[in-house]
Amino acid sequence: MGDLETISSGTPLEMPKVINFLSSLLEKVAEANDNNRDLQQQKISVFHGLTRPTISVQSYLERIFKYANCSPSCFVVAYVYLDRFAQRQPCLPINSFNVHRLLITSVMVAAKFMDDMYYNNAYYAKVGGISITEMNFLEVDFLFGLSFHLNVTPNTFHTYCSYLHREMLVETIPLSLSDSTLSLGKSLKLHCCFNEDETSHQHQLAV
Amino acid sequence: MDKYEKLEKVGEGTYGKVYKAQDKTTGQLVALKKTRLEMDEEGVPPTALREIALLQMLSQSLYLVRLLCVEHVDNKNGKPLLYLVFEYLDTDLKKFIDSHRKGPNPSPLAPTLIQSFLYQLCKGVAHCHSHSVLHRDLKPQNLLVDKDKGILKIADLGLGRAFTVPLKSYTHEIVTLWYRAPEVLLGSTHYSTGVDMWSVGCIFAEMVRRQALFPGDSELQQLLHIFRLLGTPSEDQWPGVSSLRDWHEYPQWKPQNLARAVPNLEPEGVDLLSKMLQYDPASRISAKAALDHPYFDSLDKSQY
Repeated sequence: MGDLETISSGTPLEMPKVINFLSSLLEKVAEANDNNRDLQQQKISVFHGLTRPTISVQSYLERIFKYANCSPSCFVVAYVYLDRFAQRQPCLPINSFNVHRLLITSVMVAAKFMDDMYYNNAYYAKVGGISITEMNFLEVDFLFGLSFHLNVTPNTFHTYCSYLHREMLVETIPLSLSDSTLSLGKSLKLHCCFNEDETSHQHQLAV
Repeated sequence: MDKYEKLEKVGEGTYGKVYKAQDKTTGQLVALKKTRLEMDEEGVPPTALREIALLQMLSQSLYLVRLLCVEHVDNKNGKPLLYLVFEYLDTDLKKFIDSHRKGPNPSPLAPTLIQSFLYQLCKGVAHCHSHSVLHRDLKPQNLLVDKDKGILKIADLGLGRAFTVPLKSYTHEIVTLWYRAPEVLLGSTHYSTGVDMWSVGCIFAEMVRRQALFPGDSELQQLLHIFRLLGTPSEDQWPGVSSLRDWHEYPQWKPQNLARAVPNLEPEGVDLLSKMLQYDPASRISAKAALDHPYFDSLDKSQY
């Protein structure tokens, strides 16, 4: 995994580059979707905060990295999950109101699925600045939103690493409506939220 | 969950009770694996998370138990629950073998049935391996069987508890070492698909013998059982064995004739078994290669 070495490298005092890459990408996506709000019918999902969190995506990710102590590859996997989530929930845009909750949930699920040692939900709730009850709700909604599609093959992992790396080499990413996407090569509309059934927590997943 | 009628409790899984149930509209029998999601510090149990994610990816294979759906509901006290809904099979290979050994009319398993079960098992394992998934806990209790149709399916992916296993044997089975590969017993940290093939070999022999091939009750006893039959491994046979973490100097046993451990198994079967029980994981036969072994030449593969 040459790419992982590149993006997860850094001295102990320094954040791995994956943190910078990911926060920069997510900030751009969130900003683009914030600006497109008029064009979309927005519903409120469990991930949607009432107010825009004051902490920047970059600082929030750094905080998660510092305290979660999970492997850097978990952040790449979290990115894969966010992308899958966006594809499966085409009416949920990643915006500045929900990006933080989506992030803490995706990193937590990635660590739980990938790592042999991980912190529990209560710990992630503290790191993320939310209650344990909310953390547990977010987890279930995120898992169903992903249809439990959690496995990431080495090939997929490699592809996303290269993508993150390549994105960072481009100084400015041209953002237009159709480009405001997390996905690889596919044009996505990132919007939506859970429908009424799901907000009442009557999930069902047909496999 | 109202669409299912619970018929009976059939077992206790790693993370909750398992029920036999029936779909009220279609009449289909299902196994419901219940996971309590107390609003506690753990959230969704990681074992449940992994099982759902892996089976969701793999269960299009006929040789893995089908996960039909996952339902998130609140029970009558308002506590959240997760139900995993599986297809129902009436027994598992352990009970099936037991019924041939202990029942009113003990009799060996028919050679054609052993051949068919082993083929289905190799199909399932090959499917897991082709998706980079190791089962790691293959044993007769984790193989579900439909007696009437002669179908065998792998269950309990990557985490170990068969949902048809009766409760009382729980503590014993959870520590069973009988199907564990020698490299795992010797503390190798980088094991691979070979660990599953070793288990397949042990299960193959057990179907023939109707009793376990290596019934060890501690990690050391388990190794000694293996060494007594297959000979104490040497560096020639298995390069690197003496540098494994838990390697010690063991008594030197010479290999026994494997055919004597599996009486009545035809020579092609013994040959396949010996390839599954190779010491060096790198020279152990793969599931995919096993499917092409001459032992299966007499099997009508078109029906699989």
